[in-house]
Amino acid sequence: MNPDPIQSEDPKPVVLVVDDSLDVQRLLRARLRSEDLDLICADNGADGVALARARLPAIILLDLDMPDVDGFEVLRALKDDQRTLEIPVIVLSGLQNAQDKVTAFDLGAVDYITKPFDLMELRCRVRAALRLHHLVQMLAQRAQIDGLTGLWNRAYFDSRWKEEFSRAVRYDRPVSLSLLDIDHFKSVNDTYGHPAGDAVLQAFCKVLLRESRHTDIACRYGGEEFALIMPDTAPADAAGVCDRIRAAVAALVWSRHPDRAVTVSAGVAGGVPVDGFTPVQWIEAADEQLYSAKHGGRNRVMVRDTGANPLTLARAG
Amino acid sequence: MPDEPMSPLRPLISEFADEPELKELVQLFTSELPDRVRAIENAWSTREVTVLRRMVHQLRGASAGYGYPTIGHAAGAIEDRLRELGSTDEPGWLSLRRQVDQLVNLCRSAAMGVPRA
Repeated sequence: MNPDPIQSEDPKPVVLVVDDSLDVQRLLRARLRSEDLDLICADNGADGVALARARLPAIILLDLDMPDVDGFEVLRALKDDQRTLEIPVIVLSGLQNAQDKVTAFDLGAVDYITKPFDLMELRCRVRAALRLHHLVQMLAQRAQIDGLTGLWNRAYFDSRWKEEFSRAVRYDRPVSLSLLDIDHFKSVNDTYGHPAGDAVLQAFCKVLLRESRHTDIACRYGGEEFALIMPDTAPADAAGVCDRIRAAVAALVWSRHPDRAVTVSAGVAGGVPVDGFTPVQWIEAADEQLYSAKHGGRNRVMVRDTGANPLTLARAG
Repeated sequence: MPDEPMSPLRPLISEFADEPELKELVQLFTSELPDRVRAIENAWSTREVTVLRRMVHQLRGASAGYGYPTIGHAAGAIEDRLRELGSTDEPGWLSLRRQVDQLVNLCRSAAMGVPRA
């Protein structure tokens, strides 16, 4: 997952062909060579389902009439799995089987292509399905993005933090969470107006993305508060990242108010999760550290090793 | 009764023989046709309905894509007949022979029509 959704790169879409006929696979490969996509093939239904789960293709071209696990069974398996549920499936079917197409649509297919393929039709339908996939992806992502800053929003944070936390528990790896809050933000809004406040939030986000690492997940937690999830990161390293952010924000020069500095406080909870600790308690621990950073004079980072030694307090900044 | 004289096969050329995008694939497809002919003949004589159905089904789906719609039609006709045919339908099975011959001849003609790569 890219920490900056707005700037995420768009790799070639993966198109999965599930067809037991090698002739058809070769033909599709040749006919779709001019399209900018990564074509992968499965010879049978079972492999098709496995490959779909492993690669999460943008679209699937699915033959209905296959021995053993046929196309209908593959469709059911795809639609039964949360991961593959949304992948548009185009059914490859003979002209003669109208009922098959109806059944396939009932099972969730989005389109069909009849064999033998008409070249132009094949390309158009593949393009249309790719466009659909792209739009669905974009909508899903938009629902998780904060409009002002372009960071992941609170809803995304909530689900991603749970995921990263349970991953850390499962693999016995450290994870760190930082809550960052812009100091005296209310006074920026009150003194210079809300547009200026928005500009501060946006400038802060740029610094947050620039100074955090590619694997960190930056989210707007609410108002002027931000969350940075740092997978596989011990608390001391997380404190280092946050202090880099803190220093870079403090060093910003505001062209219209060069005498005015904006600072940020951060609270970090990190470590290998111990038994019984919940993701919510972990957020509370980070929040406590943020609270003490504020009370300690702001423009600082406070860290708690919430893992091995839950009582240790460290301090940076 | 003397055998009916076989009409000499004339090479069948793919509609896409000159398409750069497909040229090599068409050659590959046709070079594999003699093996398919053998397998189809074999399936017919040993009455392996499932094998025969699978083979003609695949030819039906792919042949036109390689520029041989007539092979696709011939294979399709057999597939449709096989759907209707009961496993114990002796006269029905024997009457398939003519269609199998037709398909086999078309495949042989196609194999003749392409110079070796």
